[in-house]
Amino acid sequence: MKNATQNVSTRKKKREIDLFTVIIYIIVTLGALLILIPFYNVVIVSISPMVEYTRTPFLLFPQEPTLQSYIDLLGGGSIGIGYRTTLSLVALALPINLFLITLTAYALSKDTFPGKKLFILYVLITMLFNGGIVPLYLVIKELNLMNTLWSVVLASGCNTFYLIITRNYFLSIPAALRESARIDGASEFTIFLRIILPLSLPILATIALFCLVDRWNEWYNPMLFLRKNDMKPLQIVLRNIVMQAQIATSGGQSGSGAADLAQALKPVKGMKMAAIILTMLPVMCVYPFLQKYFVKGMLIGAIKA
Amino acid sequence: MLSASKRIPSVAPHRRPIPLHRRILRNWETYVLLLPGLVWYFIFCYMPMGGLTLAFKSYKANLGILGSPWVGLSNYEYVFNDPAFFQALINTLIISAVRILVEFPVPIILALLLGEIRRKGYQKALQTIYTFPNFLSWVVVAGVMINVFESSGLVNGLIVSLGGEEVNFLSSSTSMFVLLFVTNIWKSAGWSSIIYLAAIAGIDSEQYEAATIDGASRFQQMIYITLPSLLPTISVMLILQIGNMMNAGFDQIFNLSNPAVEESLDVLDTYIYRITFQASADFSFSTAISLMKSLVNFLLVILANFSSKRLTDNGLFE
Repeated sequence: MKNATQNVSTRKKKREIDLFTVIIYIIVTLGALLILIPFYNVVIVSISPMVEYTRTPFLLFPQEPTLQSYIDLLGGGSIGIGYRTTLSLVALALPINLFLITLTAYALSKDTFPGKKLFILYVLITMLFNGGIVPLYLVIKELNLMNTLWSVVLASGCNTFYLIITRNYFLSIPAALRESARIDGASEFTIFLRIILPLSLPILATIALFCLVDRWNEWYNPMLFLRKNDMKPLQIVLRNIVMQAQIATSGGQSGSGAADLAQALKPVKGMKMAAIILTMLPVMCVYPFLQKYFVKGMLIGAIKA
Repeated sequence: MLSASKRIPSVAPHRRPIPLHRRILRNWETYVLLLPGLVWYFIFCYMPMGGLTLAFKSYKANLGILGSPWVGLSNYEYVFNDPAFFQALINTLIISAVRILVEFPVPIILALLLGEIRRKGYQKALQTIYTFPNFLSWVVVAGVMINVFESSGLVNGLIVSLGGEEVNFLSSSTSMFVLLFVTNIWKSAGWSSIIYLAAIAGIDSEQYEAATIDGASRFQQMIYITLPSLLPTISVMLILQIGNMMNAGFDQIFNLSNPAVEESLDVLDTYIYRITFQASADFSFSTAISLMKSLVNFLLVILANFSSKRLTDNGLFE
């Protein structure tokens, strides 16, 4: 004891720093665990035989892992439809997103031209004020886009926030480059395609990533605009699976045979978790490697916004 | 953004006046480049904005938005006589206020802590973990959270194995209210901390060196150097969040809630959704509320922008 106190007094500063660091490491590591554990639990439930899971919900790893939930889920077919729809949506929407964002951002980053301020205002106002869901729904309906992929693709065709970020990036490219190309007789289209875009690859990658994730995660517009069962995107398929199980269990709790019903619904749970895994799998696989691009993009936006 | 265009000198009229039509003609390529975007904004932003006139009409599907008859303010009379509307409004304000009190400080604290991690590899790994949930949809996150908190889920498993009673988190409105904040922190605190971390990275390291020489501990440095340096960022973020008060988090509430707690967690957006697409589908009625909500939102953002300019010389749209 005496030795210890002596040690503290002689190396007070060092000890203090160590204790502080240790506490911080413990807190942030615990926090990270709190983020990871729910995911881990989802994985475990999805590969556990339901008998084993029912016995011990607080399970570290199943004794006999099984892919039965995944087989059941894929056998249902709705996940297949979900993947097909979501991939088609992404394939259609991503080029349109990039086209509208970069083109508009480039035009608005140009030197003065008549009406420039007005056009900038025209774009910015939509960030402050929007029609809300009912008028958009009616517009989609009156354009006869209901139950077509184009409804979802076009409704989120451009994104004002990404447009501003992209424009800021274009503005940072020295104007001399454009001017000299202009003197050499290049048209605006050539300057855009041959000079501006190749110089903007980092921001294009970032914007493409953001749009990709947005399209992958989109569920509200598809829920309203795609009413047919054979064209539900992944998020909606997942939502329906989660909701079914949810309503069934909360209905069962008030009923008399609650325990029986819950028991009967157990297999659904593994499938639900498998559906969650399959829905987030692409994001999960890709995110750790591309995280820095997301961060960069957010910071480019934040410096100006 | 607006000031960026100000910086570019406009064509000085006294030097060489070029007639407007000549200037427009000379820039025809720019207008061609602009056209697709302008058309898109017109169809998918301005036409719906025009659709807001429904707030003063009685929508008839066969007559369309333009043909439906005007009814003056009668939709609003109807709104103000609906107690569910006031409940939703109050819930929205309460949830937003608690979000500011409880959720807002978390990313700041997280950034302060992560900023103290000196091993860059570990810091990056932690950052990846903390920011990841932000890139999942609320559909996925709600699924994950329901799994953890439901009656036979992980948390209850833990409670039971510690000798406690199983708690039905998802069907009690009090615990769901708490879960709104817990799950939102879980999902987005990490991502929100990035902006503070960037601000921390920008602090002059000489300040820390001087403080170390003066004998300040690392905790003191954190409180007296790092935190004050973050104040401008904090105030902008706070203002932004206040400007967003009318949105209490539709995606989250819509996906997390269930019939047992739906009513007590009803916010303006879920209320609008419900009366639009679930009950007797009254489009005019819900547009009336949408319009009101948009207007209040608009005023809040303008106010936020104004106070941000006063505080930091930076508008939110610079």
